[in-house]
Amino acid sequence: MEKHENKLVQEIEALREKFSKTTAKLIKNVKRQDLIMVRSDKRQRKEYDELQKRLQDVIELQKAQKDLLEAFIKLIASAIDAKSKYTGGHCERVPELALMIADAAHDSTEGIFESFSFQDEDERRCLSIASWLHDCGKVTTPEYVVDKATKLETIYNRIHEVRTRFEVIHRDKTIEALNRKLDGEDKKEVDSWLVTAHEKLIEEFEVVARANVGAEFMKDDIKEKIKSIAARSWVRNFDDTLGLAHEEKKRVLTENSITPQVEQLLSDKSRHIIPRESFDYDQYDKMGFKTKVPEHLYNLGELYNIMVPAGTLSYEERFKIQEHVQMTLVMLEKLPFPDYLKKVPLFSGAHHETLIGSGYPRELKIDDMPVASRIMAVADVFEALTASDRPYKEPKTLSVSVKILSFMVKDQHLDKDIFKLFLSSGIYKAYAEKYLKPEQIDEVDISKYLCL
Amino acid sequence: MDNLNIKATQYTPKIDFDATGTFSLVGKSYPENTFEFYEPMMNWVKAYFEKDTPAKTTVNIEITYFNSSSSKLFFDFFDLLEENNEENEIVVNWIYDEENESAEEAGEDFIEDFENLNINLVTK
Repeated sequence: MEKHENKLVQEIEALREKFSKTTAKLIKNVKRQDLIMVRSDKRQRKEYDELQKRLQDVIELQKAQKDLLEAFIKLIASAIDAKSKYTGGHCERVPELALMIADAAHDSTEGIFESFSFQDEDERRCLSIASWLHDCGKVTTPEYVVDKATKLETIYNRIHEVRTRFEVIHRDKTIEALNRKLDGEDKKEVDSWLVTAHEKLIEEFEVVARANVGAEFMKDDIKEKIKSIAARSWVRNFDDTLGLAHEEKKRVLTENSITPQVEQLLSDKSRHIIPRESFDYDQYDKMGFKTKVPEHLYNLGELYNIMVPAGTLSYEERFKIQEHVQMTLVMLEKLPFPDYLKKVPLFSGAHHETLIGSGYPRELKIDDMPVASRIMAVADVFEALTASDRPYKEPKTLSVSVKILSFMVKDQHLDKDIFKLFLSSGIYKAYAEKYLKPEQIDEVDISKYLCL
Repeated sequence: MDNLNIKATQYTPKIDFDATGTFSLVGKSYPENTFEFYEPMMNWVKAYFEKDTPAKTTVNIEITYFNSSSSKLFFDFFDLLEENNEENEIVVNWIYDEENESAEEAGEDFIEDFENLNINLVTK
């Protein structure tokens, strides 16, 4: 019995020992479990803080990048505006006007605007950036073309050179008269001949000088007259291949150095043709540009330029000006825009398109033109019409500008719905009050346009 | 004995345990089922210490982030190392990036908890 009891006690002791070991292990495990939890919580908190901080950094960085991008865009726009006093604050005002119209379009549910709305601030930014950049290609346009104020202008107005030739002929006539008198001709007759000859010259110079300004459309009789004036001759006694840079020298015929030589008063010579070199026609096609490319880069021919029928730009120069949109597209399509700005090139590059395929450079039609581009087209034209900072033209009044817009709407160059929204929303007035001079602002009867 | 090589995933570390005595554990540790994931490693280590164990074992651990069950697993792993510490020379290098404060603190905690283990803090 005792033996039995002892055994039982031993077993109980063993069990108790085992139990307390297990308990100790359990307690250790539980304590460890607690420790793990406490530490994990602490660690997770730290990681959470760190992630939050990083997220904050990323958000700040994103904002800083957006701001930097925006500043860069404005820098480009202001560079274009600063480059030429002829475009003034155009790049800055067009985005403002375009956004005013776009916001109204966003709020409107009528007609074409039913499907037009900004889904978020990013979409609005896309249009804003596109309009800030719409003329960015103009950084490549030579100033002489952008600012060409008279027909004979290259880097300077060649009317002075032409006038000097008139002076030469004028003196030649005087000398001719003196010689005739020396030869015994009747003095009175010669004097009266000279007076007539001089008067004719002065009158002819005035015709050329007036044509040079390009303010009015050149009528056929003036064209004929200028051709006959151009055919007048004068004698050149000096070698005109001297003093040239090698580029110009390449364009001059060597026989030019033989003197004396009879020259025409106004001429088109090989030296006036600036060849088009290294033009990438493949890329031109690939980009979908349709505008015909002139054979020469420029034709500085005197007669050729003075015969420009309207305005001051030759065919080549007009192309060069219009090429700014192509440049805008080439430049913008190269930029790695994030997804929400992917449409910037499309919006920017279509502001000179019309609704019927007569615009440039892609000759798009209404269905290919996003509403945003059509809005930019209206903003672009209206800003240009009303601008009061262009030295080459008087600013137009509000009513005249609206009238011109309405003609362009009739010709389907501008979108009718956008034009009407522009008027009915009162944006034309709000913009005018902000940017037009008081003397430009007059009453506009918008009712006659709203029923178009 | 074969080496143990497990490739890293987005959530689990790269495991390269060499039977000649160099262990390497590099990456993050957020397995879906931690104990299941580390089971082959734990079994391999147990077998490693059973026979023909090299004189010296170096354990390089470079875990940047880990979840709580991984933390528990590391305790178990260090327990296992500690149990075999007397008969074998074991060095643990807890490697962390200087900027990763929580990894540094975790290393410090393990040093405190496993007094008998030779754990070094090593910055990258």
